[in-house]
Amino acid sequence: MPGFDFSNYNRNAALHARGVPLPKATSTGTTIVGCIYDGGVVIAADTRATSGPIVADKNCEKLHYIAPNIWCAGAGTAADTEFTTALISSQLELHSLSTGRKPRVVTCMTMLKQHLFRYQGYVGAYLVVAGVDPTGTHLFTVHAHGSTDKLPYVTMGSGSLAAMSVFETQWRAQLTRDDAVKLCADAIEAGIWNDLGSGSNVDVAVITPEKTTLMRNYIRPNERTQKLGSYAFPKGTTAVLNEKIIRKEEIGKYVSVLELTEESDDKMEVDT
Amino acid sequence: MVGKDCVAIACDLRLGLQALTVSNNFPKIFQYGDNVFLGLTGLATDVSTVSDLFRYKVNMYRLREERNIAPRTFANLVSSSLYERRFGPYFVSPVVAGLDPKTGQPFICGFDSIGCIDFAKDFIVSGTATEQLFGMCESLWEPDLGPDALFETISQALLNAVDRDALSGWGAHVYIIEKDKVTKRLLKGRQD
Amino acid sequence: MEVLLGITGKDFTLIAASKAAMRGATILKASDDKTRQLNKHTLMAFSGEAGDTVQFAEYIQANSQLYSMRNETDLSPSALAHFVRGELASSLRSRKPYNVNLLLGGVDPITHKPSLYWLDYLASLAPVPYAAHGYAQYYCLSILDKHHHPDITLEQGLKLLDLCTDELKRRLPIDFKGMVVKVVTKDGIEEKPFDDDKVVKSA
Repeated sequence: MPGFDFSNYNRNAALHARGVPLPKATSTGTTIVGCIYDGGVVIAADTRATSGPIVADKNCEKLHYIAPNIWCAGAGTAADTEFTTALISSQLELHSLSTGRKPRVVTCMTMLKQHLFRYQGYVGAYLVVAGVDPTGTHLFTVHAHGSTDKLPYVTMGSGSLAAMSVFETQWRAQLTRDDAVKLCADAIEAGIWNDLGSGSNVDVAVITPEKTTLMRNYIRPNERTQKLGSYAFPKGTTAVLNEKIIRKEEIGKYVSVLELTEESDDKMEVDT
Repeated sequence: MVGKDCVAIACDLRLGLQALTVSNNFPKIFQYGDNVFLGLTGLATDVSTVSDLFRYKVNMYRLREERNIAPRTFANLVSSSLYERRFGPYFVSPVVAGLDPKTGQPFICGFDSIGCIDFAKDFIVSGTATEQLFGMCESLWEPDLGPDALFETISQALLNAVDRDALSGWGAHVYIIEKDKVTKRLLKGRQD
Repeated sequence: MEVLLGITGKDFTLIAASKAAMRGATILKASDDKTRQLNKHTLMAFSGEAGDTVQFAEYIQANSQLYSMRNETDLSPSALAHFVRGELASSLRSRKPYNVNLLLGGVDPITHKPSLYWLDYLASLAPVPYAAHGYAQYYCLSILDKHHHPDITLEQGLKLLDLCTDELKRRLPIDFKGMVVKVVTKDGIEEKPFDDDKVVKSA
């Protein structure tokens, strides 16, 4: 990790002391779940991103790529989940290139927890890590402070209670793939309907030893209905004081462009 | 705001210290290539610092790569530059708008102050009038607006939102970005 | 209660600063000059924390003069304003930042266009037609809003300044001991006489 730049920190602390409010970070007040079945693992997430009480993004992606056979669902501070998973993904790729082996889920989980523990919870990433590697199928949760769990079914985020209630009532051993997908989607839907921090659609990823299937917007229970009317304004509604048009072709007035013919002697040398 | 083969980006012109207006001609939109625009809201000093920083970074990119930066590349540059300061952020929430140089497809996205990207297919808002703008855009925007209709929509959304925000207003700039031209308009707005 | 005022006109930029050097409620000096000349066509006025102000202004002054000597050409007011902003912004990220508010006025040596820049201690920079710092903002900006015009003459500019200082004398609870008034034109910087002892009756 090259490390963070703290050069604004003192200034911001002084600014905050003078009463300037700190900017709001986007968070994924979220429902994310994961569930192992016979032959693979499923993870799922809702698609709402919030900034305070405002819905900042109605269809964001919370399922992050780590490796072809390892995927991660993220809750907490949106920027942190995005960048921690990208960082570990890159380190894991280099690691598997240098060892010549497929990346393992435990390796990924260990790297994540060591990174998060180092930042003592200030990097606010809460993750569900799932994958299939040569040692088998794995499902973990990683908390921002660096603690981890290994369970057959897991939930995280603000909608974790709603989702867990679905698992606790409907989960059983020896699920089929379709059962597991249905169970995870139902758990996310419980979050979407009952948790205010979660909403919009359900994203699902199924990881098997053979391949990973990402089903973006697997269920879309909150489609925006077609507007019956239109608020389009007639041209000239807005009063304009000044207008300036810059056209691409006019840039030629300031830069001379010479087209080189094919026969021109001094062709550019190209390394072959 | 996204239209059909065009995008629009708009800002108001006020610079103020809480309730006191210091300047009423302080544009917050900056151009970083033929079709790449960045809007910055937040603390005035950081708006200047960040816009200068990206001017430097984009110029270095252009020298190194011998081509202009694409909006999506620029968005990732903004994102990682902001996240580098995760624990001492710039007080800005940027908006990027542009057209993809290869496909001509519209591209917009927004960020929080620590670099989380919000990719949107419709519109992005930021600043003190965020809540008002969300309401205006959510009701006025519709898919496949042409350049003229898009101009009217974004202008009316902005003007009517800032009229309900005491801290914004004092005129506005609107850019309509099309494949072969960029139109910059200065709007007549309330001066209170 | 330091007062800084700046007004641009057709071919000049006016900068005025109060003469009182204060420490708490005590006036230490009644003939303080809170301005520094950066080069032939640029003048900077400053207010803020005692010590920081003069230190920072003279640092900028020295660098501006060094540039002029090395390159045998003066920096334009715009270039200087951006330089000052850069210095202030990097100071802001240091262990002990300068607490200085500035007005930078000048006339471009080539185009003869007058300009005025407003900078605060957070390194916010704004080019403006007229400006004030401190409590003066609350009293003077409204007067300037009403009476200012981009192509006023120097006489009209000075009259406008009187309007502002009269209002300050009327409303500010502490005597700021008159003003140093300087005007920048294409021919250089010149101090203008100001009647410090003028009595303004409160309404």
